[in-house]
Amino acid sequence: MSNRTLGLMMGFVALLIVAVGVIFVVAVAGGGGDDDDDGGNAPASNGDGGTDTRDDGNQPTVSGICGENRLITFGSDPNTVLDPIQARDDVTSQYIVEIFGGLVTLDLDLNVVPDIAERWEISEDRLTYTFFLREEVVFHNGRRVTADDFKYSFERAADPAEFSPTVLLYLDEIDGVRAKFNGDTNEVSGVQVIDEYTLQIRLNRPIGYFLQELTYPVAFVVDREQIESNPRDWTRRPVGTGPFRLKTLNPLEEIVLIRNDRYHLGVASLEEVVFELGGGSLVTRFENDEIHIGGVPSIELAAVRSGDSPLSDEYRPALQLALGYIAMNLNKAPFDDPLVRQALALSIDREAVNEVLLFDAWRVADGILPPEMPGYDAEAVTSYPYDPARAVELLSQSTYAGNVPRIVLSYGGGGGDPPDILQAFQQQWQDNLGIEIELQAVETAAYLRELDRGTFQMVSAGWIADYPDPEDFVGKLFESTSTLNRIGYANAEVDALIRQAAVERDQELRYRLYREAEQLVIDDAAIIPTFWPVDHLLVRNCVQNWPDLGTVVPKFRYIEIDPSKD
Amino acid sequence: MGQGLAGYILRRLLWAVPVLFVVSIVVFYMLRLAPGDPVDTLLGQRYDAEVAERLRGKYGYDQPVYIQYVKYMRNVLQGDLGVSTRHQDFSVKEVIVPKIRVSATMGLFALVIVFVLGIPVGVYAALSRGTPVDPLLIGSWLFLDAIPVFVSVIFAQWLFALKLEWVNLGYEGVFHKNIILPVLLISLPGVAGVARLMRASVIQVIGEDYIRTARAKGLRERTVIISHLARNAMLPMVTVIGLTLPGIFAGSLFIELFFGIPGIGRESLDAVRAPDFDVVLALVLFGSTLFVVANVVIDVVYGFIDPRIRVGATRGG
Repeated sequence: MSNRTLGLMMGFVALLIVAVGVIFVVAVAGGGGDDDDDGGNAPASNGDGGTDTRDDGNQPTVSGICGENRLITFGSDPNTVLDPIQARDDVTSQYIVEIFGGLVTLDLDLNVVPDIAERWEISEDRLTYTFFLREEVVFHNGRRVTADDFKYSFERAADPAEFSPTVLLYLDEIDGVRAKFNGDTNEVSGVQVIDEYTLQIRLNRPIGYFLQELTYPVAFVVDREQIESNPRDWTRRPVGTGPFRLKTLNPLEEIVLIRNDRYHLGVASLEEVVFELGGGSLVTRFENDEIHIGGVPSIELAAVRSGDSPLSDEYRPALQLALGYIAMNLNKAPFDDPLVRQALALSIDREAVNEVLLFDAWRVADGILPPEMPGYDAEAVTSYPYDPARAVELLSQSTYAGNVPRIVLSYGGGGGDPPDILQAFQQQWQDNLGIEIELQAVETAAYLRELDRGTFQMVSAGWIADYPDPEDFVGKLFESTSTLNRIGYANAEVDALIRQAAVERDQELRYRLYREAEQLVIDDAAIIPTFWPVDHLLVRNCVQNWPDLGTVVPKFRYIEIDPSKD
Repeated sequence: MGQGLAGYILRRLLWAVPVLFVVSIVVFYMLRLAPGDPVDTLLGQRYDAEVAERLRGKYGYDQPVYIQYVKYMRNVLQGDLGVSTRHQDFSVKEVIVPKIRVSATMGLFALVIVFVLGIPVGVYAALSRGTPVDPLLIGSWLFLDAIPVFVSVIFAQWLFALKLEWVNLGYEGVFHKNIILPVLLISLPGVAGVARLMRASVIQVIGEDYIRTARAKGLRERTVIISHLARNAMLPMVTVIGLTLPGIFAGSLFIELFFGIPGIGRESLDAVRAPDFDVVLALVLFGSTLFVVANVVIDVVYGFIDPRIRVGATRGG
């Protein structure tokens, strides 16, 4: 290297730095004012910067995303293996319901519809369900599904060695499930194979939401041959009966589902569904034509919704079948006094918080059941309004008037409200009641443990529906004997209503009984409902039949990509 | 001499054993003393309490910590790093190795860029001392260094993906051109540090007698700079490069988050948050091992560059 080359090299480096600096300065100055133009036509004239111009002629596919029969959306890593009896949350279930199937499934309007069972008969006492299976249903490996497979799957779910977290929550009404789970029997006596394509399930009590429960993954059918030949990691390439098969699962990277060409309910139009697990910059990537489904950033929500944004015509809200709420441990001071709880409920202004902090992203929960839940009736149930004067009055009548003990509100891993919202509530409780509530962030594991062991005092919590029936909220969370009633709520009147509703034959009457129980729970201020969350999505126009649904149902087989609509 | 060097390396590596032992005990205890365990997150909100107890029994979390530790170490010594509780169908090795590969490849790219740019910039700045070029040069790179990553990333994504459409932002593998942007965002801020170190080193060496001697002998300036000046000024860089090496395996959490890169930074965050006991331990042990090895390597390389150090080390150590 000569002196001159060295000098030249140094000169080049200096030039490079200056170029980088200039690009930054120019772009920052230019980007401050109007960075909302379409950005599609900026010429790449700054090529002499050198560092970023390694453009190998392989231009990003600007319009190609709608040209392929492949939906690219985003997702999260599943929280458990892709085994239906292990799935216990919506993240994992959204993959499970596409890969597996059961006797029945949900349509996009949340009705229970036939899946592998073509039809069913319910006995007069409503204790015996006879399912008649379709004869043409095959697993992804081509093996025919028979009643024996269902018997195996139910018994596997109840097998104590499988540690299914949900089998007792959703299938306990099947005769013999608990006995098998406790290791008393080898068989689930309530599930009987009548013939190759007829399955009979006997219940121990006549519940009105059994078919809904069967739409939960724990009741899905799995392939015995695959599991027995590969017990440890069959879930990496699970064999199910669903509209899609798992093609790839790369943790933190992507999940790819590929169409099942022998699906019995109508083969999907999409060839593949790609869930990108990287997170990253979803809005930018949506704007950059890299993904079909993106999310709306909260600060742009108002503009997007009002139609003032270029993204407006791709905006799609997804109404979740979920509730955010403040849970209090009713066994602990001061929450053992209903007056304190009512005062707390009356002194938060959820409307204002939604408007100011959330840009109206969510809906104030005027009740427990979300509006999309069957049995919801806006008129029948109301939650406490914002009434600070009455709150003060109630607090002064309570046993803790003037001596409210230290309260810690923990939040962290339960899908509750984000911290800034809790801070607003904290301020309102302070201003309206003079109660100082300490906020405490805890790790997910610690949060869940507090909840499970009942050591918490007050938590920000969330509940997402498992199946579309009011029982999943009212019964699961508030019946005094329910495992998931973690707040220690026990109201004989509520229990009686829930039990009556469970076995009521008349659907409308059933719903009404749940609503009555719901109103009692709210009047007791057993929890403080805060918001019904809404996801705000961006969906490319070429994606047809995208359901505005925030619930886990098998939905990708309905979706089509129409390049002409982009 | 070769014999002595081998013995030295061996002794140094043997010292790693108690270090790793202590690290593993501390981390093992810390994980288990924290509130909540993998079973809590594995089960989430919906489960029957009995399942939790049974699962704790299955994983042995219901036993005293020292027994759990002995069992764990016994498995580790047999090459079994345990299971990931988040991905039970993957072994710990299968969980972390692909991510280490991704992060290390990116880190290596970044390292090369940092030193290839940083060293000449430092030399040039030192040689231009007293002219405006020196502060301007170092200043420009410090400017890049001073931009917080969440500003530079968002700006760069907007500029290079949305405005200029040179790259896409999705992760398509470490040898895809989409990786250029994240690699530059990791490396460019680091140039200033290396450049300043090199600059200081060169300025120090320039004043040495042997440089003056070399110049007095009438050697050409190019020879002086390359053979005498740069070579000696490089010495401190060996330590820097060596100590940076384990770091490239650590990944860059922010960059990985912003670009959705499945690297070890995100994996570590997820593993700690879960908590995924065996994965966290494996990551910590891997990191500690790297650090120890890197230090040994630095010492050995020093010996080749500067014989004085080798002699002293083998005698003393």
